Amino acid sequence: MMEDVVTNINEWLDTNTFHHRQFWDLLNLIEVKERQGLTISLCIPTLNEEETIGKEIVVLKSELVDRYPLLDEIAVIDSGSMDRTLQMAANFGADVYLSADIFPEMGFNRGKGENLWKAIYQLKGDIIVYVDADIKNIHPRFVYGLVAPLIYRPEIKYVKAFYDRPLALSNEIRPSGGGRVTEILVRPLFSLFFPELTAIIQPLSGEYAVRRTVLEQIPFPVGYGVETSHLIDVYSRWGLESFAQTDLDRRVHRHQSTRDLGRMAFGILRAFLKRIRAHEIVSGMPELTTSLRQFQARGNEFEQIIYDIAEEERPPMIEQESYLKKRNLNN
Amino acid sequence: MMNRHENDIGRIIEMTRELPSRLKPFQEMLLANLVMIGEIPASTFHEQNRVKFLVQRFTECGLQNCSTDEFGNGIAILPGKDHKKTILLVAHVDTSFDNRVDHTYTVNARHVIGPGSGDNSLGVAVLATLPTLLSKLGIQLQSDILMLGATSFREQGNLEGLRSFLANQHTDLGFGISIEGVPLGRLGYHSMATMGGEIVCKFDTNHEHRPGAIHVLNRVIHRLCRFADDPLNDATLTLGTVEGGASYKVPARSATLRFLFKSDRDEIIQETTEEIRKIIQTVQGETDCWIDLEVFAKCRAGGLDPSHPLIQQSRRIIAGLGISPIESPHTTVISGFHEHGIPALCLGITTGEYINYPDEKVEIAPMVTGIAQLIGLLLAYDGGCCDEHK
Repeated sequence: MMEDVVTNINEWLDTNTFHHRQFWDLLNLIEVKERQGLTISLCIPTLNEEETIGKEIVVLKSELVDRYPLLDEIAVIDSGSMDRTLQMAANFGADVYLSADIFPEMGFNRGKGENLWKAIYQLKGDIIVYVDADIKNIHPRFVYGLVAPLIYRPEIKYVKAFYDRPLALSNEIRPSGGGRVTEILVRPLFSLFFPELTAIIQPLSGEYAVRRTVLEQIPFPVGYGVETSHLIDVYSRWGLESFAQTDLDRRVHRHQSTRDLGRMAFGILRAFLKRIRAHEIVSGMPELTTSLRQFQARGNEFEQIIYDIAEEERPPMIEQESYLKKRNLNN
Repeated sequence: MMNRHENDIGRIIEMTRELPSRLKPFQEMLLANLVMIGEIPASTFHEQNRVKFLVQRFTECGLQNCSTDEFGNGIAILPGKDHKKTILLVAHVDTSFDNRVDHTYTVNARHVIGPGSGDNSLGVAVLATLPTLLSKLGIQLQSDILMLGATSFREQGNLEGLRSFLANQHTDLGFGISIEGVPLGRLGYHSMATMGGEIVCKFDTNHEHRPGAIHVLNRVIHRLCRFADDPLNDATLTLGTVEGGASYKVPARSATLRFLFKSDRDEIIQETTEEIRKIIQTVQGETDCWIDLEVFAKCRAGGLDPSHPLIQQSRRIIAGLGISPIESPHTTVISGFHEHGIPALCLGITTGEYINYPDEKVEIAPMVTGIAQLIGLLLAYDGGCCDEHK
């Protein structure tokens, strides 16, 4: 059994792990895309990202809409920024939406997963590529590196990004993987319950491209758990072979505090355990609390801070009558 | 003939006035190139990655002869209709920032901010974007445009990329334009004679009980200033940077001054160089400090006369866009062209602040005007409006 897992992982790593340099020929990529009649939407979920959003829109629109027409739309879906994120994005030519204004009969939750889910409703593309707004070294590879495997390989459904591979010329050996939450929480959990998913080098990376036919069939936790749940749900339904991953080299972004990562880990763990229960992998699991308790020191005293992290989940979009009607899928 | 050219330049000035609004829809292409070029570090002598990107852009634009020469310069040709004349467009690719500095750029509603954004990532971005802009505007010149991303330009580089290119190329270049990011309105067409260099004062042995190298350098600086202030002397001195020492507690073991002398005449700079050597010998004799002079940047005086038709028409084109020309008595790059007898001028594209500091920034809105003046000037030269009357 374990041998099968190792074999599958090795085969998958050989065939479904790419480097963005393999897709440098954008003219050819666009030709193949157009031959298939595919449309591609870029979704950038935002909350107070005025520092980086301008550059991201300028570079991606100029390079991947104007110069090389790979993208059919660029949309910013915002959770209610208090800064100038929306004005900046609109100023440089992105379509700008407030998450709360999309599909309003479903209400509004604040969270990245909510914006990603609303994107399925709002955007037009057969492929949606999600790119976080906090990338300081944005480059077109962050998009074409992810959509190219979907264009060239019809059997691939979901492409994740990974970063910072050791230099081939260097003798130095460095761990190449995810951040702290990936290595301390997600990778051990996957090793225990979904060992094949450990092949994905950075399961929590915020950049991925997915076919609409997949996105509309999976539920979306509105907060931190969205990436982890996607991997489990897509894996459970379509198997490891439906995934690919692309090395996008270096990604420079904000550093998060350990306290913030604690909250992230809590949300991920809740989403994970929910799936463990749904798949009947473990039984007798108690009702999960939504409260995370953290401490901070003030003078000689410790103060408790209790966060409520409910990690609500949005249902598969395909189950929504309004969506079916909008996309003429009723028949 | 005069009347025909007068009509032509009038028409070109009118057309140039409309260009900023016609260029506005393509502004993001320039900004994207600025960001992508600016984020590739390119300190002097280490510009190869930036040149590689530039040449790739030239190739993507369908230019001819896209290549890198033996001096590391990036080169391409935008062919004209009749190939009778060739215009050289040059932007230096190197910046004043070490390649280890964080080169991440930021774009906000008004500015692009990042090291080297104005000097000279924007100039290089204009070079990379111009072929696309001309194509979008439906403009094809009669003349060929030779695009040059010049390496080893700044400070110790001493225009080496440009000088080597000009010394080794065989095209009859009718006219050269150097594109600088800032400031908009800049109109440089003359170079003063200059000598830029470095004076290093250094103690080789234990020096704790002596005045340190900074004291010695101070003596040198004092004498240089006295020489520069002498009313009989025609050279002006700029004290650029001073570095030295390791701690506030101990006398400095070494100290370095970087400076520039300028004059209208080459022979004055020659005499100044001799005078500096004498000052160094004198101070060296008074102390037992080792003092060395390295001259790393030398320019000959020369360039175009302010009444040259090229300059006159440039003034009119710039003024036609509502900008006051900023005419500088000294633009280093002109010296490189002058040595090869090529008429040339230097233009700026936009306004900027904190140039050569890490928070260097350039203003977005004026960029289309800066490009409009460049295109206007290309059209004027191409149409014969800048020819000297015999």
